[in-house]
Amino acid sequence: MIASLRRLGVAVAFLAAPLSALVSADADTNTPRDIWHSAIAQQYAELSNASERLEASATRFCQAPDESLKQRLESDWLGAYQAWQAVRFVQFGPIEQNSRGWQLQFWPDRKNLVGSKVEGWLQAGTTPTVEDIASDSVAIQGFPAIEYLLYDDAMSDWPLGEPAMCGLLQAISTHLADTSNALERDWQAFGVHYRDTPRYTETTLANAIQALETLEQKRLGEPMGLQGSPANRYLAEAWRSGNSIRLVESTLEGLRTGFLPGLSALLREADALPLAEAFRDQLDKTLAKTGDLPPGLTTSLDDEAFRGQQSLYLNIGQLNYLLGTEIAAELGLVRGFNSSDGD
Amino acid sequence: MQRRQVLKAGLGSVVMALTPLSWAMPGRENADWLFSAVDGLDGKHYIAGVALDGKNRFMIEVPERCHGGCLRPDSRQAVLFARRPGTRMHVIDGDSRQLAHTIAAGEGYHFYGHGVFDLNGRYLYVTANRLEDSAGLVRVYDAANDYTHVRDMPLGGIGPHELRLMPDGDTLVIGLGGIQTHPDYGRVKLNLDTMAPALMLMNRHSGEVVARHAPSHHQLSCRHLDVAADGTVIAGYQFEGPEWESYPLICRLDAAGDFSELALPDEVTASLRHYTASVAFSRVSATVLVTAPRGNRVLLLDAEQGRLNANLELPDAAGARCDGNGGFLVSSGQGGLYRVTPDTAVPELLVTQEFRWDNHLT
Repeated sequence: MIASLRRLGVAVAFLAAPLSALVSADADTNTPRDIWHSAIAQQYAELSNASERLEASATRFCQAPDESLKQRLESDWLGAYQAWQAVRFVQFGPIEQNSRGWQLQFWPDRKNLVGSKVEGWLQAGTTPTVEDIASDSVAIQGFPAIEYLLYDDAMSDWPLGEPAMCGLLQAISTHLADTSNALERDWQAFGVHYRDTPRYTETTLANAIQALETLEQKRLGEPMGLQGSPANRYLAEAWRSGNSIRLVESTLEGLRTGFLPGLSALLREADALPLAEAFRDQLDKTLAKTGDLPPGLTTSLDDEAFRGQQSLYLNIGQLNYLLGTEIAAELGLVRGFNSSDGD
Repeated sequence: MQRRQVLKAGLGSVVMALTPLSWAMPGRENADWLFSAVDGLDGKHYIAGVALDGKNRFMIEVPERCHGGCLRPDSRQAVLFARRPGTRMHVIDGDSRQLAHTIAAGEGYHFYGHGVFDLNGRYLYVTANRLEDSAGLVRVYDAANDYTHVRDMPLGGIGPHELRLMPDGDTLVIGLGGIQTHPDYGRVKLNLDTMAPALMLMNRHSGEVVARHAPSHHQLSCRHLDVAADGTVIAGYQFEGPEWESYPLICRLDAAGDFSELALPDEVTASLRHYTASVAFSRVSATVLVTAPRGNRVLLLDAEQGRLNANLELPDAAGARCDGNGGFLVSSGQGGLYRVTPDTAVPELLVTQEFRWDNHLT
């Protein structure tokens, strides 16, 4: 209740902008950026809804903790985490404000900051408020911190619904819902600027390429040991719950629903529709690979799933080549060095 | 001029086959060689020394991506600094074209990618972060004693970035970016809602902060700057707030010490995409050049009048410095090195290198 009042209060400040954004979206939905804006708006809305379900689920579980509500909570946590993966390729606009992307998911976490932050609060003897979480580190604010509470071995001895655990769980899930709500609202407000500013076409493309590179190199390649360093399962996302491949799948699905339609429109304008079809076919093929794999990532060469992961890795590489090299060349996209990562 | 000729003459027999490097200090009115942090196409990090003909060059591989650099007066050394959250600075010997020293920031500290020497080349002032309390510091090193650390001078703020020596030789001017980072968190910006950036002046002997000027918005991160011979400072911001909002990106501290922000036409500010990289005075006139890699722009400004003289397109425009003749050398993250002069409409491509120049030229 408090959370929803707070969200309402923040929404007032943005009231003028979303209305105008909606009106102009209705006027013309044909250009690639129009298509992207509304597809991404839908993805943010799904993230926002899923995060509210997670928040409600945490409340229900903590009121009357039992195994079935815990399973429901785990499923709602994964659902919201997957909704975030779907729209994670968007790294510009409202997501950049206050490092919101990092707030949702602090990763990679080479020093186990998530673990130490969660343990810190559990030992603190006080229950954090949402404001405490909001002003604390990004390592405590997102999906990985909830994953720790639900899945880490260190939590296995804690009684179901233990108050310190529940207080922290609820504060984090409410903060997550606040952040996701704000993203949905701010993306709407951002609409006019996004549609009116041609360079966002390039930005959106570059973000999708970046997302595929991250998928290939960081999310699969590094934990699997395919990037020059030994395999390390702790570098995988969601290793505690064994959902790394599910999250990869959600990102690919998110590119299918949130990115591909606008890309197709853009390539149609450039009279290069076959490239859009090639990208769609490769994306579908890659998605099919994820469907054949267990949800978690294995680093064991003896595990048959490892071969499947290698195949997925190669397919993502081909997808990356198609978008980052062939389609980028067709559309004249040149990626910068300092312009994308300066200081 | 005379000093440089003497230097060159004295070195001729020692360098032998190597092309003599020309070092002009501290006005840097001329440059035959440039130093820059670069990334190879192999993804590795290097410090590059490049002759203006583009044919002579040397590359030194380093473990972290570096950023800015400075020349040591009355010596043959250049120092290049790791960018945040890097922990090393590298002293390059121009004669041997090799690494002379690598100095670590020390446990609990990291550098921000910039440093500057005093006029004698004795003390080196380096911006740094003390991790335990995120305190922004100027760390002082004694180059005459193998770059031993001498003392720290706190700035009363977070995230100092580029610094330069004012013409009086006693005052440092520092861009305080205001952004909190920590190596444990990589490059995550940890305090975007509570940033407190500033353009600052500090007495380099006492460490006293003698001026602190706040930009017009708390998310305007004051980063890069240069100083004219008369003491006028031009500094560039990077805006960390909503990209659909627009704020001035260039400020000026005039010779009388008055701080202001330059009001450029809205479409020019928008074209910079909230991000400036290098600032360089021509040192011959009041012309100052500002690069904007995200906007692929180079601006030429009259620093006295606060007026825009030219707005040129240059892809991934990054490092910049004066060329000694009233013009500028500008590097591109895409590999090109260009000459820009106040009276040419299009940057002149001098050479293209098979690497990516980082944001600054030394």
